[in-house]
Amino acid sequence: MELQLQRLCKQYGKKSAVDHVSVHLRPGVYGLLGANGAGKTTLMRMICGILKPTSGSIRLDGRTIQELGERYYTHLGYMPQEFGFYPDFTAREFMHYMAAVKGLNKKKAKARAGQLLELVNLGAAADKKIRSFSGGMKQRLGIAQAQLNHPDILILDEPTAGLDPKERVRFRNLISDFARDKIVILSTHIVSDVSYIADVILIMKQGRILMREPMEHVTESICGKVWEIWADEREAKRYSQKLCVVRFHHENGRVRLRIVADSAPAPDAYNVEPSLEDLFLYYFNEAMHSEGSEKQ
Amino acid sequence: MSALVKYEFLKIIRKKSTLLIMAASLLVTAVFFGLPVVQFQTYNQDGVVRGSRGIAIEKEQYARLSVVLTNTYIAETIKEVQELFKDPENVGYDGYEQFLIEDAYWDGIAPREKLLDMIAKNYAQPNVSVGYNALADMDISDGTDFYQARQDKIEALLNDPDRGLSEEEKDYWRNMDSKVTVPFQYGYFGGWEVIITAFELLMFAILAICIVVAPVFSGEYQAGTDAVLLSAKYGKTRLTTAKVLASLLFGVLALTVHVAAAFALVLTAFGADGWNLPLQINGTAVPYPWNFLEAVLIQLGVIYLVLIAMIGLTLFLSARMKSPYLVLIVIVPVLFIPMFLSPNGTSGIYNKLIFLTPYQSLIPKFGSYISYQAGPVVLDAFWMRTVVYVILALLLLPLSGRGFKKHQPA
Repeated sequence: MELQLQRLCKQYGKKSAVDHVSVHLRPGVYGLLGANGAGKTTLMRMICGILKPTSGSIRLDGRTIQELGERYYTHLGYMPQEFGFYPDFTAREFMHYMAAVKGLNKKKAKARAGQLLELVNLGAAADKKIRSFSGGMKQRLGIAQAQLNHPDILILDEPTAGLDPKERVRFRNLISDFARDKIVILSTHIVSDVSYIADVILIMKQGRILMREPMEHVTESICGKVWEIWADEREAKRYSQKLCVVRFHHENGRVRLRIVADSAPAPDAYNVEPSLEDLFLYYFNEAMHSEGSEKQ
Repeated sequence: MSALVKYEFLKIIRKKSTLLIMAASLLVTAVFFGLPVVQFQTYNQDGVVRGSRGIAIEKEQYARLSVVLTNTYIAETIKEVQELFKDPENVGYDGYEQFLIEDAYWDGIAPREKLLDMIAKNYAQPNVSVGYNALADMDISDGTDFYQARQDKIEALLNDPDRGLSEEEKDYWRNMDSKVTVPFQYGYFGGWEVIITAFELLMFAILAICIVVAPVFSGEYQAGTDAVLLSAKYGKTRLTTAKVLASLLFGVLALTVHVAAAFALVLTAFGADGWNLPLQINGTAVPYPWNFLEAVLIQLGVIYLVLIAMIGLTLFLSARMKSPYLVLIVIVPVLFIPMFLSPNGTSGIYNKLIFLTPYQSLIPKFGSYISYQAGPVVLDAFWMRTVVYVILALLLLPLSGRGFKKHQPA
C-alpha cells in the first residue's frame, strides 16, 4: 500500500497553507512536526478528503481519491484536533453511530465497538454519557472511533494535546499498538511524543515539507550544531536573546546552556548529542520567536 | 440507513434544549387552544354563562337544531322571526336597527341565533354584515328559495370587479360549487368552528421545530464533528440523507403531538359533534364541497407541507451557516414577518403572494375565493399552497444535503 501526495497545494487567497507537497508514504508511523500554522492540519484534512486541494493529487496505490470515491474513506481513520463529541450520547452509542457512518454492519459494529472500548480502557464507562468524560477519556474515545473500520491509513491530529503526562504515555502506547501495518500520520508539536513512536519524521514549515528522515537519522542534519556552555547569569541572558537556547539550567550559581547554532557560540562551548527537540527548535526557533512577539 | 436515521433522531431528541423548546411550545399551543374553552361565553336570561357550562348549554340548544335546511324549513323559520317582530312589545330600537327583546329574544332567537344569522347573511349582499333582525323585513310571499339566493350571492362574489377573477377562474369556482350537496344538514359544530379559526396558532409549533432542527448541520460545524463525519465512508452520502430524514421524522412527530394536544383540548371541551356537517353551515358562500372533518384534514395536510418546506429551508441554511443562531436569524423573520403583512384584498400579485407565505398558508380562508391562474390552469389556495410547498421541499431538502457534502471544515 502506498499513499502518494503529488505537488499538493492549498491556497487561501494569496496565502499558501500547503505548498507543493510531494511525498510517498508506505506503512509506518510518520511524525509530522511543525509549529502552529505550518499547514499540518490542512495537509491532513486534504489526505482525509475533506478539504479540496487547490492543485495536485492524492493517490492510494496509484488511484486518485476521486477515482476511488466512497471506497477511499473505508481505508481512513481520522482523529482531528479538538474533536467535538455528542455529550448526550454514551460512549457505546457514539461508537455505534460512528460505525454506522463508516458503513460497518450492525453485528460487527457492536462487537468491534465493545472490543475497542475495552482496548482504550473505557469498558467500564461505555454506558456513561460523554458529557461526564475527562479530556483524556474523550481522546481515547476519539482514537477508538478512528480504529472502528480497521483503517489502513490512520491520521491523528495533535492527539496528545491537553493530556496530562500519564494520559500521554497511555495514549502513545495505544497509538503504537494500533500502528501495525498501517500508514499512521501523527501530527504534533509535542516532540517527545513522536520521538517514542515515529519511524519517520516529516518536518513541515510554511506549508512545505522541509525534511523527511527516518527517526534514527533525523538528528544527523544538526550533528555538530548542538552546544553546551557554562555562563554566568548576565551572559546567559545575552545568549538567550541572541541564539536558539534549548535549555537554561541553573547549577551552583552558574547557568548551563544548551544552544543550537551553526557555529560554536563561545570558545569554551562543546558539542553534545542532538535530540529531536533540538532539531525542532533549530527549524522553528524563528516561528516561535515571532509567535512570542505577536503575543506581546 | 435505518441505524443512521435512528442515531440522528436520537441526537435531536436527546438534547436538553430540544425538550425545553418542545415543552415551551406545547404549553403555548395548549394555552392558545385552551383560551376559546376558558373564554367561551353564552347568554341566557340569568346573564353570562362561561366555560364548560356555557358550552354545555349551547350544545344542548343546537342539538335540537339538527335538521335539514330545506326551503320549507327556512321559510318557516323566517316566518317565526317575522311573527315575533310583528308584536311591538317584543321590539327594541337603538337608533340604528330593530331587535327583539326579553322573552321574544330569549325564547325565539337566542337558542338558534347562529342559525338565524347564517340564514340572514345568505340573503345579504356580499361583504355586508347582517344579523337575525335582517329577516324581519324580508319579503317571503313568493317563498324563500334559500339555495337560489346562495347561488346569486356566489355569482355576485365571482363577478365582483375588486376580485378580478378571470372567466376560467369563475368557471373553476362554479364547477367546485356544483359539487356542494344541498340542502344542508344543520347541527352543532362548536369544536370544529374553533379549530378552523385557530389553525394559525400552530405557527409557534413550526417555529419551535425549526429551532430544534437548526443545528442538524451547523451544529456539527460548531462542535468540530464535521471533519470526522465527512471523512467516513457514508459521511457525504447516506449520512446527509439520514440527517434530513431524521429531521423530517422529528418535525412530523412533534407537529403531530402539538396538533393532537390542541385538538384534544378543543374537542374534549366542545365535543367532536358536527364532523360530518357541511362547511357551508358556517358560511353559505363557501365553495368547497367538504364536511368539517375533511376541511380540517385538508388544511392539516397543507400545514404539514408548510412544515416540511420550512424544515427544508432550515436545513438548507444549516448546511451553509457556521452557527444555528445565524440560521434562526433568517428563519424567524421568514415565519413571522408575514403575520404583519395583511392582505388588502384577494387580487393582485402582492395579495396572492401574501396568501402563499408560511403564516398566511396556515389560515384556510374557506370563503375567500383565492385562486391562481397560469394559462388555462386554475388552482385554488389549497392546491396552490400544496404545489408551492411541495416544490420548495423538493428543492431545499436535497440542496441541504448537498451543502453538507460540499462543506470543507475550516
